[in-house]
Amino acid sequence: MHMFGYRLKCLARDREVVFWTLIFPLILATMFHFAFDQLMGRQEAFSPIGVAVVASDAYQQNITFRQALGAISEPSGSQLIELAVTDEREAFRLLEDGAVAGVITVGDHVGLTVSQSGIEQSILKAVLDEYTHKYATVTGILRANPAVAGELIRELGQTRSYTQQASFSSAQPDTALNFFYALIAMTCLYGGFWGLRNTTDMQADLSAQAARRSVAPTHKLVVVLYDSAAALTISLAEVAVLLAYLMLVLRVSFGNEVWYVLLTSLVGCIAGVSLGAFIGTYVRKSESAKTGILIGTSLTMSFLAGLMIGTMKDMVARKAPVLSYINPAALITDAFYSLYIFESHRRFFLNIGLLLLISSSMCILSFLRLRRDRYAGL
Amino acid sequence: MQVFRAYFKVMRASAGVIAIYVVIFLGLSMAFSFAEAPSEAGGFAQTRTPIAVINRDGNAPLAQGLAGYLADTGRVVPYPDDPEKLQDALFFRNVEYIAIIPAGFSADFLSGRDCAVQKVTVPGSISSRYVDMRIDKYLSTARLRFMYGGGQSQEQLAAAIRADLAPETPVTVVSSSASNGSENGFVFYYRYFAYAVLATVMMGVSSIMMAFNKPDLLRRNLCAPIPARSRSLQLAAGHTVFALGCWSLLVLFSFVLYGRSLLSSGLVWLYCLNTLAFTVVSASIGFLVGSSVKSIGAQAGAVNVIANGMSFIGGVWVPQSIMSKQVLDVGRFLPAYWYVKANDAISRLSRLSASALRPIYGDVLIQLAFAAAIFATTLLLTKERQAE
Repeated sequence: MHMFGYRLKCLARDREVVFWTLIFPLILATMFHFAFDQLMGRQEAFSPIGVAVVASDAYQQNITFRQALGAISEPSGSQLIELAVTDEREAFRLLEDGAVAGVITVGDHVGLTVSQSGIEQSILKAVLDEYTHKYATVTGILRANPAVAGELIRELGQTRSYTQQASFSSAQPDTALNFFYALIAMTCLYGGFWGLRNTTDMQADLSAQAARRSVAPTHKLVVVLYDSAAALTISLAEVAVLLAYLMLVLRVSFGNEVWYVLLTSLVGCIAGVSLGAFIGTYVRKSESAKTGILIGTSLTMSFLAGLMIGTMKDMVARKAPVLSYINPAALITDAFYSLYIFESHRRFFLNIGLLLLISSSMCILSFLRLRRDRYAGL
Repeated sequence: MQVFRAYFKVMRASAGVIAIYVVIFLGLSMAFSFAEAPSEAGGFAQTRTPIAVINRDGNAPLAQGLAGYLADTGRVVPYPDDPEKLQDALFFRNVEYIAIIPAGFSADFLSGRDCAVQKVTVPGSISSRYVDMRIDKYLSTARLRFMYGGGQSQEQLAAAIRADLAPETPVTVVSSSASNGSENGFVFYYRYFAYAVLATVMMGVSSIMMAFNKPDLLRRNLCAPIPARSRSLQLAAGHTVFALGCWSLLVLFSFVLYGRSLLSSGLVWLYCLNTLAFTVVSASIGFLVGSSVKSIGAQAGAVNVIANGMSFIGGVWVPQSIMSKQVLDVGRFLPAYWYVKANDAISRLSRLSASALRPIYGDVLIQLAFAAAIFATTLLLTKERQAE
């Protein structure tokens, strides 16, 4: 037990690694929070679109058109546009200043003037199209069947909605969440720094400390187990701090199953520590080269899991599905995502299973490598 | 000249790290520029919301007509009727709207029973309103045509609806703008430019300063028969050459990627001016970092945290237009905020009049003021430390 304790102390004193594995993710999480604050659900919310109408004679005389515009600009929950009726000059000045998205002109027919293409402008066009279309329908019907005029007008006055909101689960499809999930995946993989450090302190040709330790009478397997347990403990503690910060301070949603979230973190940390051990034993280069490779690998994996570009994970899953089954970062991210969005746990356990498989093969490979090490002279 | 020459010898040692930043940035911007859809110049392009249509009503002409209408007015992404795949699609915004036409919908609709198209959307979003409008329009036209159009078969009904929905409102686009809005790839390139130049210049300048500030080396240099002023000037010259080198490399690459569209926008000189100001800021921050940190690890930490932090809060990674007001208020205290503000303003310019350019010049001046303040602080700090 004291071996575990000392190893823990030994690792935790490496302040630089603590910075990268604990402080850096916390800083990134804070920045994500600030940057995506607005993105989380609110940014896409709809607000009425500003539009100016040129108050020409034709407009004043076209009662049905005025009524149509009036109906959708009334302040209510379903208000679609914010209407400003002005003269031509003022209308175009508003457009130029960006105060309105478009200017409606009424002459022989209804026209729209905009300064750029976009969703608001498209909606304005759809509104005007709708008027034109309804006009076509009504004239078409009346031409064939003039007797129904009264009924038709009554029917026109009613608005109906033909769509009904449904959902597959109670979770909001909030894209920004993926950044946070990928960040946890990165932190888990950064646990590899501890695994890497362990292997350096284990191979007698790499450090004096390892040379001393390899002549100690303790069985190598015991040493490896204690070292790994210590690395795992630190790494898990760091992820737990990050999780607590995300959940309690930043209020990032993880669904309702805290134990499964912790399970994912544990499995993620195992994957991270084994990745570090694997690189530490198989890459025979300088320590800084190993660190570089570890950072490069874990960042590439996190990048593919959507750390920098939120939709990257899904893009990979559709274009190169194999990659998302062997990338630990993508598996961790997807495990969190599945917990959040799906009712069933099928996909979640698939992710966890694959992660354990990958980690155990990396562990076995690196121990096989370590086991046979004998040093003729140092 | 010895110091100036030594400068670039030291620089060679940290060239690898700097090259990594540049290569990654250039690689990513290349990927982005290829991924970018070719934008049609001029004219009004109607937004086509990506949508998944799940038709469970099979071959009923009305349901097919609705699906066809949605396909014509939106961008239908084919998806199987599998909730897990559809949820993925919505979460990652491959589609922004999933419309499910339930089985027996057409029959129910035509017999006047209550029925509705099921939709799964980002609740309350603008694009979902946009698609709602289309579905409602199609079905309310169907209702009018069916109730008052006399006995028609479903096929005739679908054809009549399509004929009614065919006319389009003419749209005029007024813009004397040299650039066509924010669609251009180089607008994004020049936004991310801030991160690239900040990371590389900061890394380079701080590495040099750390090397020249090593206590032993500094003491030896102080005994050398070169006046302190000359040494500082040569260092400053080195910083200038290095920073200008990074800057011109990145600007050059923007020509390679976006040559024609960038040149025809007539805004090149404004982008150059703005980036140059930010390069000066980056150098000043590198100067500060190099004079305050001791170890390579601390330097890497500082460079990463400052470059990423400034990019996030200043609006490089995420556009300022979608950031909350509180964060932007904090961002004002960072030079990156003013860089991005100027960059956005440049891309929005519709004419090059003095009144339109004045705010941009203002933003550039604020950046330079930041740089001057940071340089002055650093000089003060080093002076104090040397006195000790």
